[in-house]
Amino acid sequence: MGSGLGFKRTQLYAYHKEHGKIVDFGGFEMPVWFEGVIPEHHAVRNAVGIFDTSHMGRTMAEGRDAEKFLSYVVTNDISALEPMNGLYTVMCNPKGGIVDDLIIYKLAADRFFIVYNASNREKDFAWLKGHSEGFDVSLREVSDEVAMIAVQGPRAEETVQKICTEPVSEVGRFQLARVHLSGFDAMMARTGYTGEDGFELFLLDTPLESPEKALKVWNDLLKAGEEFGIKPCGLGARDSLRLEAGLCLYGNDIDEETNPLEARLRWVVKFKKPGDFIGKDALLKVREEGVERTRVGIIMEERGIPRHGYEIWDGDEEIGVLTSGGLSPTLGVGIAMGYVPRGYRKRGTPVRIRIRKRFAKGKIVKSHPFYDESKYGWKRDRI
Amino acid sequence: MSEEYQIPEGLYYTEEHEWAKKVEDGTVLVGVSDYAQKQLHEIVYVELPEVSSEFGRMESIGAVESVKAVTDMFTPVGGTVVEVNDALIDSPELINEDPYGEGWIAKIEPKDLDSDLAKLMDAEAYREHVAAQEH
Repeated sequence: MGSGLGFKRTQLYAYHKEHGKIVDFGGFEMPVWFEGVIPEHHAVRNAVGIFDTSHMGRTMAEGRDAEKFLSYVVTNDISALEPMNGLYTVMCNPKGGIVDDLIIYKLAADRFFIVYNASNREKDFAWLKGHSEGFDVSLREVSDEVAMIAVQGPRAEETVQKICTEPVSEVGRFQLARVHLSGFDAMMARTGYTGEDGFELFLLDTPLESPEKALKVWNDLLKAGEEFGIKPCGLGARDSLRLEAGLCLYGNDIDEETNPLEARLRWVVKFKKPGDFIGKDALLKVREEGVERTRVGIIMEERGIPRHGYEIWDGDEEIGVLTSGGLSPTLGVGIAMGYVPRGYRKRGTPVRIRIRKRFAKGKIVKSHPFYDESKYGWKRDRI
Repeated sequence: MSEEYQIPEGLYYTEEHEWAKKVEDGTVLVGVSDYAQKQLHEIVYVELPEVSSEFGRMESIGAVESVKAVTDMFTPVGGTVVEVNDALIDSPELINEDPYGEGWIAKIEPKDLDSDLAKLMDAEAYREHVAAQEH
């Protein structure tokens, strides 16, 4: 499928076309919003929202060496993973730059399910394929055969339970389960990209040519969440929610010129895991010498919306650039992420952001998350 | 989703979707069109020009920001800013709610009004311009 201009579409395109504002995102025609970014954002923070994430990349890795192979291409420790559990990781190039960030789920000892960024679909599969020589592993891209829906927010569990045959509460964070959703075969993980509790649903055998099952699950979810005020959400709210949660966006906050140590993703680099991994030597050197710059969060103290590409200044000196930014609907102020020299990472350090012709004051904060974790996000006190 | 746009008669429009409206005292009110506000959607911030600053025709006098995007506000007529709509500081959504009324952005004392207006579109021409953008 896909339009004449070569754009790709997901299984849920018919819904988006009718109800949403469509934009081009990494070659996909996707909804940026349905009602609006702000109401959709609040629905997820306060109740529940659903996102079509079928544009993301998904690959199955199977074979006797599948674990050994993945352990070699990613930085995190796959050997520590129990079956039906997932972990967040990055994969690096030999220079230690981030090729992508991804989640790997272990289905069985010799079977893994890999989920990565939509914008890196071709690059990642080629990268994996290119490094698989010599390993007994087969890689199968299933992105267009498995529709993917994220259900996020404090009411996500109650919403999903209404269409799920199995007990949803038994699925823990970063765990994966085989379930039936609206009666269809599916996998479900307690993961997401909003900072909230929630699930990512993988609808098996839902190829682009026959979107009926995916549309049925999407509409059933909207009905199930009606009493909580569920909203379909577009990419706009997906971005504002992940920014508030302090989560990196590939291509903005991390890329092949950024290493995981300066990106403050040190926790996914396991130097002591068994065997070698791509980028290990370069990253060991970075660890030894220390990073030159570091990713920080910035919260505005004056009016103005910080955005990607704006300069960060200290007095009369430019010290860095914002990699993400926007208005935080939850906090009502501008928030951003960017890179500054090591010496500036201390919380509370004042900075100025250049917004067109003027400067606006801000300060450095712990980058993840920006909101009060006792009130918002998956760790919040129960509502 | 298909949209209907308000394009009132008697105003002058730019290709970039600003409008200008003559006021009795010889000044001109400027703002952004209904099409512009619907494209931007949720307007969350407006950067206003300083009163008594001077601008040439189609120079940027400020910016209108939605959650996702920033767009320059170009003045359809050159001249001196004599007043700005301070209400937009706390309520930028006035541009979404009433783009040709409460959502005006600045009042300009024009320098060369007739020549500037001659370069702008009337409602009918602007309606065709918007229709062309939709396809």
